[in-house]
Amino acid sequence: MDEPGPSDPRIVAFLCRWCAGSGADLAGTSRMQYPPNAIPIRVNCSGRVEPEWVVEALKAGADGVFIGGCHPGDCHYVSGNYKARRRIHLLRRVLAELGIEPQRVALEWVSATEAARFTRLMTDFVAQVRALGPGPYARPPAGAEPELATAGPSATATATASSGAARPAERAAERAADRRAPW
Amino acid sequence: MVKLAVYWTGACGGCDVSFLELGPALLDVLAKVEVVFWPALVDAKVEDLEALPRNGIDLTLVNGTVRTEHNVEMVRTLRDRSRLLVSFGACAHMGGVPGLANLISREALLAEVYGAGFRPRPPAGGAPEDAPTALLPAAVPLSAVVAVDYTVPGCPPPPALIGDLFDAALSGDLPPRGHVFAHEKALCEECPRTREERVISRFVRPHEVLPDPERCLLDQGIVCVGPVTRGGCEAACPRAGMPCTGCLGPTPNAGDPGLAMLSALASLVRTGEEGEAAFATEDELLDALADPLGTLYRYSLPAYWPGAAVGRPGAPPRRDGSQP
Repeated sequence: MDEPGPSDPRIVAFLCRWCAGSGADLAGTSRMQYPPNAIPIRVNCSGRVEPEWVVEALKAGADGVFIGGCHPGDCHYVSGNYKARRRIHLLRRVLAELGIEPQRVALEWVSATEAARFTRLMTDFVAQVRALGPGPYARPPAGAEPELATAGPSATATATASSGAARPAERAAERAADRRAPW
Repeated sequence: MVKLAVYWTGACGGCDVSFLELGPALLDVLAKVEVVFWPALVDAKVEDLEALPRNGIDLTLVNGTVRTEHNVEMVRTLRDRSRLLVSFGACAHMGGVPGLANLISREALLAEVYGAGFRPRPPAGGAPEDAPTALLPAAVPLSAVVAVDYTVPGCPPPPALIGDLFDAALSGDLPPRGHVFAHEKALCEECPRTREERVISRFVRPHEVLPDPERCLLDQGIVCVGPVTRGGCEAACPRAGMPCTGCLGPTPNAGDPGLAMLSALASLVRTGEEGEAAFATEDELLDALADPLGTLYRYSLPAYWPGAAVGRPGAPPRRDGSQP
């Protein structure tokens, strides 16, 4: 399968090691085909995924974040997936109020044997994020004029600078500044 | 004599009044400082400020959110003329309550307050420079515009923390640059209330109940952001039966205070036995949390979501109905 192009959605996937991560492994060893847009990050439990990580992924330029955990009742740590579900539910509400599409964040249950389900969910999520377009803090495709120059993260800089398209290098600096704590 | 300046940008005036809370200690401070510029207190003009040499002021305290082009000009001048510049109060520190206006566009904000089609313009017969200053696209914290040496957080800063700043500045025994004059530990550490249940079964707003005087407010379903907020105020609000709203800013470990508190609240919510059968009622409970952004980011929206007001192509309509 082809490498994702510059305009393809970039997705960060937090997968729990006991269920979703094993399901993804099984999809790979079974040679199942699905879009290569996700960067998987294995975590011990979906309950370990802090909302801050999801937002950090978006602020770093991801177009979508996928979280895979164990089915209800199957969590290796009993209730981590339930905590994850409540956190992501509230986070989606906050994102919507901020003007960021909540559909950019998905939480799904995948067991260690459900390679086909993982393949289908990831295919669907990539399509869903593609339909939404670039994420709130997306980097412009290499070489393209950054039409999103005044978008999202650069308010701090554009607030004081004159309007107009910031250069990509400046945008990178602004993004770095965004990740700094304000105190 | 230490040359002192105090200035306000987008502020309510509460920070200027907060110095009175020092009580008799204020007299000791005033005996050691020479006020060279302080619009709320002395009649020094902008020209007097501009006439000062570089670093001609020893200590400048700026309160208020940075919202207009005039604010930017003034704080840049103050930065140039000051040896030490202190971000004073929650607005200068993180954008503050006025920063919640970032949730709507500047244009929608002006239309809401002054009517549709409003443009700042000079009064009849006035010169162009008599026009009111233009708003920036969004409110920003002081540190987004100029380098800040120290921060005294709070809405307004508690007297003990103001005292700490003056003790340090007047003795010359200064902490490292970037120091925040508040505790590193969470507000809960100095809160006298007792924590037991660690479960939230419904959200209650402060005006809806008379809270139990002994028990943790979170246990009673009142959203108190003490767990992610710096101590330093002796938990003044929880002691008075009101929840902490986070004015001292996040502890160094909390990171983004809104997301840290979101995580804590979601963990505490229970509507019975956890499991698939409870999903619907849990969602209902979480959806009943009133005004999540105003609760989680009451003082800090511009610091953590600098792009919230600017909009981008393809984004859903904002809450004011305008297309970004």
